[in-house]
Amino acid sequence: MLEIKNLHATIDGKEILKGIDLVVRPGEIHALMGQNGAGKSTLSAVLAGHPAYTVTEGSVTYNGKDLLAMPPEERSHEGLFLSFQQPVEIPGVSMVNFMRAALNAKRKYQGLEPLEAAAFLKLMRERRKIVELDNKLASRSVNEGFSGGEKKRNEIFQMAMLEPTLCILDETDSGLDVDALRIVAEGFNRLRTSETSAIVITHYQRLLDYIKPDIVHVLIDGRIVRTAGPELAMQIEQQGFDWIKESV
Amino acid sequence: MKQYLDFFRAERQRIDAGSSPLLNQRRDEAAAALERLGFPSQRVERYRYTDVAAAFAPNYGIQLQTAEKVVTDLHPSASLYYAQLADIQADAITALNTMLVQDVTIIHVAAGERKQHPVQITNTLSATAPLMQNRRLLIVAEAGAELDVIMTDKARGQQDFLTTQVTEIVVGEGARVGFYDIEDTHEHCHRFHQVFARVASGGKLTHSVFTLAGGLSRNQTDVALVGQGADANLLGCAITIGQQHVDNNTLIEHISPACTSHELYKYVVDGSSTGAFAGRILVREGAQQTVSEERNANLVCTNQARMWTQPMLEIYADDVQCSHGSTVGQMADDALFYMRQRGINEAEARTLLKQAFASEVLGALPLEPLRQRLQAMVEHRFRSCEDCQLCKPHD
Repeated sequence: MLEIKNLHATIDGKEILKGIDLVVRPGEIHALMGQNGAGKSTLSAVLAGHPAYTVTEGSVTYNGKDLLAMPPEERSHEGLFLSFQQPVEIPGVSMVNFMRAALNAKRKYQGLEPLEAAAFLKLMRERRKIVELDNKLASRSVNEGFSGGEKKRNEIFQMAMLEPTLCILDETDSGLDVDALRIVAEGFNRLRTSETSAIVITHYQRLLDYIKPDIVHVLIDGRIVRTAGPELAMQIEQQGFDWIKESV
Repeated sequence: MKQYLDFFRAERQRIDAGSSPLLNQRRDEAAAALERLGFPSQRVERYRYTDVAAAFAPNYGIQLQTAEKVVTDLHPSASLYYAQLADIQADAITALNTMLVQDVTIIHVAAGERKQHPVQITNTLSATAPLMQNRRLLIVAEAGAELDVIMTDKARGQQDFLTTQVTEIVVGEGARVGFYDIEDTHEHCHRFHQVFARVASGGKLTHSVFTLAGGLSRNQTDVALVGQGADANLLGCAITIGQQHVDNNTLIEHISPACTSHELYKYVVDGSSTGAFAGRILVREGAQQTVSEERNANLVCTNQARMWTQPMLEIYADDVQCSHGSTVGQMADDALFYMRQRGINEAEARTLLKQAFASEVLGALPLEPLRQRLQAMVEHRFRSCEDCQLCKPHD
């Protein structure tokens, strides 16, 4: 379970998060909506441990452990996965080597032996199919020359490999056409277990047609100003955010 | 410099006795040139990044070989090519080497002969006191011949070493030569390597220099494309750490029409080390249809590390296609964070990024087994590096 209490965070001395409170229980899907600059991506970056952000107040615990005390790699080992809004291209590092290093680091953390080459490649093959990721892409450098849709599919593929318990999908729908969105969302749904929870960051209802949230939050100026059921997302789709702004 | 001239004058008889007439007959002009030139100061353009006088200042024992080991019947090509490309009059280190060197390794391939396997030279430095060694290599590929030479520098024990080497490479018409120079020594080794190559019409030269470990390395590579359609491919990769210093200085001269040259040097500069690259492409008048591409890319891993880069392009012909450029960058923070989010710790992420950076040069090596071997050596270099205190990431 993820528990965020009164979280404040700054970047370059500027406060972006101004007191976030959020509890995500196992199996729950939370949608986080809001306009550009509201702090949605900052929240995901802070949870993942991006070094550019400074937490100035508040706490975050995950499964009873102090998440903020952990380096990013340990948060990953503990089951946190961030699907990047803009996945990074890493020329010269092949997907295979990258995934092997990531998976074996997690296994080491769990006290397991590294996966044998054959077993690893078999796992890659299986998980690739879930997001219909071409074999050629898997043999290329990480995200290098991938289309927008391929990059997002690659994120879900990595999620499939690492089997996280808390997924943060940061605008996974941006830059995707309807078919790509369906593949990505269905991939995510197939990978979910009853214990997997997620925070889905989005501007639009569109993604939420595929990944159905239990709870919807609206973030304005670094604070969660409204929390309700899935109907809130529909309302935002029809009326925008202004009516919420006016009411707070 | 005086110590070397004094040594030469005092030991002239022993030096001559332990060498062959061909080498002996060039010593006087070399000594005169050295005395006239002196060691280049850092105001001399090609030496601005390396303090030569400081490197030659300590008292090294100078290795001499005895008369019993002398081979006097050198291959006939030696008298044709020895000290012909190497410019004694213009370069002090070349002059010093020519003054003191007693031995020349000659690799000659007759016209039309294609060597199936590379010739491998391993130089292992080993001594109980500080030692200076002067080496000479002559590679001659006659018309249509093909040859690859791999040279590896190693050092045993933590002694101070100073090495000078002059390498002359003659690539005949339509011939192909690959010369792969790998330095894998330690921080007490100082090395000055002057390479002079001449490529005749339709000939191809590939020259690569990998600096995996060393103290001070200065590699000067001069390539003259003298015949129509000659081609040069220069590759370099330097991985530096601690107080290490690597200075690669190249000159590619396009003299005849329709010659091509490609040059790629990459540095991963870590710790408090310094890297320098100066690459000059000179397209002479009349060298029309020249195609030349030069690139130097550098990854500077710490705030203490320094990189100097100076790509130069001089064109005196009007129908040419040339490009040159360089980049100096730091480790990509966004890539580091991305990898860490996936569970790869920072040290490992840095290692992967450094390897990825160097892999472009490895990928350009035409010799597949060498590429694989170097891949492993580079990986080993980065990995063992992570264990040493000097390499720990600095904030």
